[in-house]
Amino acid sequence: MVEISSDVIRGYNDTMILSILMKEPSYGYEISKQIKLISSEKYVIKETTLYSAFTRMEKNGYIESFVADPDPEGNGKKRTYYRITDSGRNYYRDKCAEWELTKEVVERFIQKEENTLPQANEE
Amino acid sequence: METIKSYLEAMFANMPNTPEVRKAKAELLQMMEDKYNELIEEGLSENTAVGTVISEFGNLDELAEDLGLSKEVEEVHGKEADLPRRHINLEEAKAYLGANARKALCRSLGIMLTILSVAFPILSDPYDNGRIGAILMFLVVALGVGLIIYSGFLTSDWNFIKEELCQIDMNTASYLKEQRRSFESVRALCVTIGIILCIVCWIPNLIFTSADRLGAALMFLIVGIGVFLIVYANKISHGFDVLLQVNDAATMSGGYRNEGGSPVKYVNKTAETIMTLYWPTVTCIYLILSFLTFRWELTWIIWPVAGVAHRAVAINCCDDIEE
Repeated sequence: MVEISSDVIRGYNDTMILSILMKEPSYGYEISKQIKLISSEKYVIKETTLYSAFTRMEKNGYIESFVADPDPEGNGKKRTYYRITDSGRNYYRDKCAEWELTKEVVERFIQKEENTLPQANEE
Repeated sequence: METIKSYLEAMFANMPNTPEVRKAKAELLQMMEDKYNELIEEGLSENTAVGTVISEFGNLDELAEDLGLSKEVEEVHGKEADLPRRHINLEEAKAYLGANARKALCRSLGIMLTILSVAFPILSDPYDNGRIGAILMFLVVALGVGLIIYSGFLTSDWNFIKEELCQIDMNTASYLKEQRRSFESVRALCVTIGIILCIVCWIPNLIFTSADRLGAALMFLIVGIGVFLIVYANKISHGFDVLLQVNDAATMSGGYRNEGGSPVKYVNKTAETIMTLYWPTVTCIYLILSFLTFRWELTWIIWPVAGVAHRAVAINCCDDIEE
């Protein structure tokens, strides 16, 4: 089975997290659950990777943290929530543009490879 | 969930004990707990849930890099390689506590007998010029000193705890803290009764007339029992502290000894030296004053005063040194 190489995805963990935070502020486990869901369980982010991304992006000013209770009635345990900042939004757009370019470039080479395979002609 | 906590503790044991690391640990635990609870709600068995959570945890080296701790982690790894720490497991810890308890009993009995020995010549004086009393005194002193010396050998198998670098894990530390907590009330009782006995030891002398030697003999008996209680309780409790202090204070595992893993208090070395001299100095003052004035019924007041003063001196010395 093909698995995502952590080296390749590393540069885009931030993008994934920011895209979730674009919708609404969220906390650690909720974000990792969203990533798993959106990727149809093809990518599970490690806890340490997620926390590293939080600290790094907070340091860079892309996100801000605050403490809140996930339970609307306030009976739950407090979580550290993260919300995206304006510079985080800009960074997200840059990363998206970067990915489009990367994808376009890499794709060309992938298709070239596929064309040499006999099955590729079926599509 | 306990397995996950132990796993996380073990992963963090050798990380430097800094606010960033403590925060990272708390956040990671929260994420793992959320994931675990949800997996259990989905109907997974506890083992499967724990397995999934741990397999999806990741590794700390990556985290250390982003926390800006690569250098510190490297240092800790280097220290580990140069001076590997001997691991003390729970069984060994229990065995040490057993040996320490026997040592405490022997030593405090020895000290009590040495104090009691003086009572024999006092009691037997009138009957045969004190010969039997003197013989008994030396026998009892010999027994007492023998016990004290013997007690030193009872923990000789465990000298490595003091000589080598050791380490205990979270489970052992929790066990030790639990034991220390449950012993704390016994200790408080023993020490209180012990001190009360030392204070009231003069009473027999007031009840019995000075011609009667029973009063003096009883005084030594009461002091002996009091000292026994104090030494015994403190020795036992010291055993827990010895084990709880083996971890490297600069790492997360160094915080095990305190509740909630808060960092250890850093105490100035000179202040520490001054404080170790405090009680011997007080003892000297007490003995000198007492023997010069022979007002034993008054000089004991030095002790409670010294106790209160100790607190004040300690706070002044250590207050601003904390980081």
